[in-house]
Amino acid sequence: MLLSYCQILGVLVFYCERSKTRKWLCRRAQPPRVCDNYWSEFKHCKSLSNRFHHYYTYGTTPSCQQWKEDYYNCREWEKHKGTEAKEELQKSERNRVAEQSKFTPVWKLRQDPPRDWHLPLNQDKPQDS
Amino acid sequence: MDQTKEEDFGYDLFPERRKGKYKKGSIAESLFTFNHKCQVMLQFAMETSPYAKLLLSAMKSSGCKVWKDRHFSCEDCDGTVSGGFDAASSQIVLCQNNIHQQSHMNRVVTHELIHAFDHCRADVDWFNNFRHLACSEIRAANLSGDCSFSNEVSRFNFGLKQHHQECVRSRAIRSILAVRKINREEAEKIVDEVFEPCFNDHTPFGRIPHSKKDAKFAYRDYENRDRYYANL
Repeated sequence: MLLSYCQILGVLVFYCERSKTRKWLCRRAQPPRVCDNYWSEFKHCKSLSNRFHHYYTYGTTPSCQQWKEDYYNCREWEKHKGTEAKEELQKSERNRVAEQSKFTPVWKLRQDPPRDWHLPLNQDKPQDS
Repeated sequence: MDQTKEEDFGYDLFPERRKGKYKKGSIAESLFTFNHKCQVMLQFAMETSPYAKLLLSAMKSSGCKVWKDRHFSCEDCDGTVSGGFDAASSQIVLCQNNIHQQSHMNRVVTHELIHAFDHCRADVDWFNNFRHLACSEIRAANLSGDCSFSNEVSRFNFGLKQHHQECVRSRAIRSILAVRKINREEAEKIVDEVFEPCFNDHTPFGRIPHSKKDAKFAYRDYENRDRYYANL
């Protein structure tokens, strides 16, 4: 079943999803982040304090160039709707997500939160270890 | 693993988990303990620390909304321990007799909220699986600011290149030894086994927040996560 699709109307690209009420909701395709966020990440990455923290953690200096490229691709996407800029930016962000998820977790993720999280405290019962 | 020693899961460090010295809300409690100060600092941490705000938001999204009066408890503790997470009662314990500065409170709240977050989103077997315990301790030491350069210097642990990882490793071992009756070699082995996947699991921050600015950026990214994932 198709749960999302891209619809091109003129020069605008829309991203559409089916909601829980089975209605199609469409919104304009846009960069994953506000473009200024890329620039602020780039400046933060290059700062002395961040370079220090990176060395303190990983023993190397951080590589910040990708943030700058992402910023320019983001602007290009917003201004001129360039397909190449859009794809480059999306590829870069997908790499970031992949980097965060490349290790096998030690535990299994839950489907639902713990049942006793919201239960009131029983002050009279002794705590069992 | 030596199973013959009686395991109390670290509850001896938190004597008020079993029976408090003063009745909750009593005048004796407010006169003879730091309870009120702890409550005030906790409220301030929850409202202003970007680390805590992000974790509280993430927990709410995971179905574990945190209520201050239900999920936090300011108590007197033994020794120099600063806090703990009691999975049996789903409560974060803050050691009111050992936390006297707001920055320390912020860090302890963040540390314990990471345990609570792991409890909420994953099937963590706190009492029987040492690997799960070690993983959560590694994440908490890594992401809470416990191992910042300035904190390490204040403990007279001077190191620079990759020292953060050494600190995370040693604090995780220390935390495990404080609450479980196993020997140091076993604790070190377990931490080494799970170090790589757990050190690199930065959920929900998306990065290791070394400073308030990092935490603010992480919070900004978290608030915009719907737009982010919809446009990948």
